[in-house]
Amino acid sequence: MTSHVIGIGNMTCAACAQRVERGIRKLEGITEVSVNLATERATVLFDDNVLTLQHVRDAVVSAGYEVIDINAENSAEDAKLRKEKETRTLQRKFIVSLVFSLPLFYIAMVPMLTKYGVSLPYPSGLDPMNFPLIYALTQFALVIPVIIVGFSFYTKGFFALLKRSPNMDSLIAIGTTSAVLFSLYNTVRILSGDFFAVESLYFETAGVIITLILLGKYLEAVSKGRTSEAIKKLMGLAPKTAIIIRDGRELEIPVEDLAINDLIVVKPGAKIPADGVVEEGRTTIDESMLTGESMPVDKVVGDKVYAASLNTTGSIRFRAEKIGADTALSQIIRLVEDAQSSKAPIAKLADTVSGYFVPVVCVIALVVGIAWYTGTGGDLAFSLTQFISVLVIACPCALGLATPTAIMVGTGKGAENGILIKGGEALETAHKIDMVVFDKTGTITEGKPTVTDILPEKGRTAKELLRLAGSAEMNSEHPLGQAIVRKAEAEGIILHNAESFLSLTGQGIAATLDGAQVLAGNRKFLLEQEVLLDPMSDISDHLADDGKTPIYIAVDGQLAGIIAVADVVKPSSRAAIETLRKMGVKVAMVTGDNQKTATAIAKQVQIEYVLADVLPQDKANEVKKLQADGHVVAMVGDGINDAPALAQADVGIAIGSGTDVAMESADIVLMRSDVADVATAIDLSKKTMINIRQNLFWAFAYNVIGIPVAAGLLYLFGGPLLNPMLAAAAMSLSSVSVLSNALRLQKYRAPHTERKGISR
Amino acid sequence: MKHYAKKITATAAGIATALALSGCAQLLPSLDIVGQQSVISFNEMLLAMPDQVRNGDSGTGWSLDAPDDAVRFNWGAASSDASQVYLQLEIDAAPFIAAGMDPAKLPDSHTYMTSGSDGEEMLLIGTTLTGDETLTTSTPKAFFEQLVRDHRDVVNFHTSLDHYGVKLGGGNMFEWARDLVVNRFDNSVQDKDIVFVLNPEPFIAAGADPENIEGWVYAEVTVEENGKPIEVWKLLKPFDVVS
Repeated sequence: MTSHVIGIGNMTCAACAQRVERGIRKLEGITEVSVNLATERATVLFDDNVLTLQHVRDAVVSAGYEVIDINAENSAEDAKLRKEKETRTLQRKFIVSLVFSLPLFYIAMVPMLTKYGVSLPYPSGLDPMNFPLIYALTQFALVIPVIIVGFSFYTKGFFALLKRSPNMDSLIAIGTTSAVLFSLYNTVRILSGDFFAVESLYFETAGVIITLILLGKYLEAVSKGRTSEAIKKLMGLAPKTAIIIRDGRELEIPVEDLAINDLIVVKPGAKIPADGVVEEGRTTIDESMLTGESMPVDKVVGDKVYAASLNTTGSIRFRAEKIGADTALSQIIRLVEDAQSSKAPIAKLADTVSGYFVPVVCVIALVVGIAWYTGTGGDLAFSLTQFISVLVIACPCALGLATPTAIMVGTGKGAENGILIKGGEALETAHKIDMVVFDKTGTITEGKPTVTDILPEKGRTAKELLRLAGSAEMNSEHPLGQAIVRKAEAEGIILHNAESFLSLTGQGIAATLDGAQVLAGNRKFLLEQEVLLDPMSDISDHLADDGKTPIYIAVDGQLAGIIAVADVVKPSSRAAIETLRKMGVKVAMVTGDNQKTATAIAKQVQIEYVLADVLPQDKANEVKKLQADGHVVAMVGDGINDAPALAQADVGIAIGSGTDVAMESADIVLMRSDVADVATAIDLSKKTMINIRQNLFWAFAYNVIGIPVAAGLLYLFGGPLLNPMLAAAAMSLSSVSVLSNALRLQKYRAPHTERKGISR
Repeated sequence: MKHYAKKITATAAGIATALALSGCAQLLPSLDIVGQQSVISFNEMLLAMPDQVRNGDSGTGWSLDAPDDAVRFNWGAASSDASQVYLQLEIDAAPFIAAGMDPAKLPDSHTYMTSGSDGEEMLLIGTTLTGDETLTTSTPKAFFEQLVRDHRDVVNFHTSLDHYGVKLGGGNMFEWARDLVVNRFDNSVQDKDIVFVLNPEPFIAAGADPENIEGWVYAEVTVEENGKPIEVWKLLKPFDVVS
């Protein structure tokens, strides 16, 4: 099986996307196909033993559309350029169309307005009563350029009609062609002396419809460009050049020419051109463009740096490990692109409706035309007007844009906030989440032990105790020992190498420092060494109750104090959980720790449901149980052991600093590793879904109200009729209003979460 | 600049096309279908009532008598200047005087006179047009054709009645049916083959009671001025010449 992303050109409405999808799906060997109108891309999964890409390409072409690119490396960049060109072309077409349509509209409408007492300047030589042929030919001459600039509507529309799969262009083509042909017929009647035919000219209807549709398309293109703003921003982050060391000299080269293992120099204020590891220097790097985290990060030798992040203070040299399409930035761009191309389940409803919509509308228009023709005793002009109005107002382009545009903006907005949403389905499901299960270690907590309490015995200072323990633990590889060493170093204490060192697995260490024997370990170990612990027993119990691990320190058989170590809660965890609760979402914590430790942590962050003593392989089962109870569950985790649970959950949310496996299994990745973003992701999903529903409402409402009015239903009861030009304006307005509504999501602000919170 | 040049060119093209075509009435007479048809129709109307058509006294014009002899439409070239065209109605003034009109109170555009031995009282209402060329007076049709060409604005088409008309100035007109049998606007029987139309205002101002002018109908009618329909009161004398 292979998956390919194919850029599709010439699609104009949801019916087109449906048509391409149907065309590809018909091929034997296709497993999955999804065509997205907003991104103009098809994602195809097929069996490459049965099919080749050429077959898929042929299917697209035979459906009447163009294959722009296949698996393009810079698809977003190419699409951006293509969109800009398309927008410029549409703008030009609209201007030309407007230039001819305005006089056309004026010439056609002013004589009509005079009947209602409105008198505007008008050339007497065009008076329809006295110069009907000139009046008609002038309009014809003015509509020709408009038809020329809108010619693609006819080629695409009639082609689709011939293929028995009419689309939006078909509706416009049939409507305006009917108007022009009927007007030409009446011009011939005028020529033969039937001057009254001057009242049955509809050249201006065709001209204004095409102009308004072009305006709608132009605005649509502008809006579509804005919906992919997030991708554009991401792409704009990467620097164009890099300075490398070659033959001992600095050399500036385009980033495309970078090779893995190149030694790259980055000076203050410059952007990092590739992913790699620092080999020389130290600096502070602003990674906010990748993680959304506003605080710059210190980087020293051995630290990883990422392409597109901004070097702020020092100068560094780093070795390139990942370049071009393999950098974290490129992966993020691909992830966002994929998400934007994917379809949410709700989109399928709109697609299904759109697929049937156009043919049904053609039938309705025909029925309306025939009914009015019969009902009015053969008034062809009247029946044709209603026929055209129905065709024009019923275009389902708004329906096709309703979901994908909101998803594009929603996922883009997520990326801006450091939340990578992998697909429309995840975005849609996230709004239903009523239970969030957090993995404890590395998610709610920092994931690495930290010294929380230093409690020296009488006669010793905390600093002295830390120096003793730190020096003794210097050779230890145990995480608790390393936590003590880190703390001592952070406090600026100079540590000394032990003269001897012995590690006893599961108990502690014994070291000799300046001739003195230092023991560090658990209660059992020190009791075995006959160290009297009674003076600090109570304190030790309290620490254990709080979920902390007490490490007893003894010097030459005498208790020197206790250093408590714990995996501390991340500063933002409590506030994030509080925000979720306020949103009505239940919060649970799952951990392999014992109930006591788990409860202690849960108490700190105020989590009500605690699932303790859960083996890694059972996490997925716990999620399954919650799902069986009717919950829509999101699992938040970071480790390899969380991967099954992430996959089992309705929405898997991985912490960005976590393992690749976790991120692979997740539906959403939180780039800045902040649990507060869980609430943001759910909130963004809710806002996006509201937006999609609003869009669908407007798209359906326009058609549900517009079609009966255009058909003349109100007129039957003494109400107004819908002029085809008004129908065209309403139709264009529907697309523009749907897009404008989707763009409102760009103003999305994450719910306020206190990012500080408690640390212990 | 290139961008703007295209826009300017496109705008200019649009305006030029509109302007060029709006001037077509003069530049391309062959497109003036109403004018052309009016000549044919005028001739057909005259042929339909040959006894009513007479050569003018000077030999440079013609007249069409109403079947009741109460009014006459005169048209032709002025004997003094063949480039001048006169279009006028010669009306029997007696019914107007009987309805209370004081001829002395008529405006200058209305000439009151008596003629013949029996002192027949007449009213002359009309207009004189000055053209660039000498008008041919060989036949009524040729004369009318030239009139349409040189003074197209005096000939118009009245849609709802399916009538052509000649404007005589001051709201007075002579109209005739395009088709003397059928009104093609609504496919009804055409019962107003020719209509003499007078603006009643000067007569009312001169003391006439418009409701009591014998042989004339005082009615509110819809006329189109530059495509604009307006309701006005007129004195009408319609005739169904061809039944």
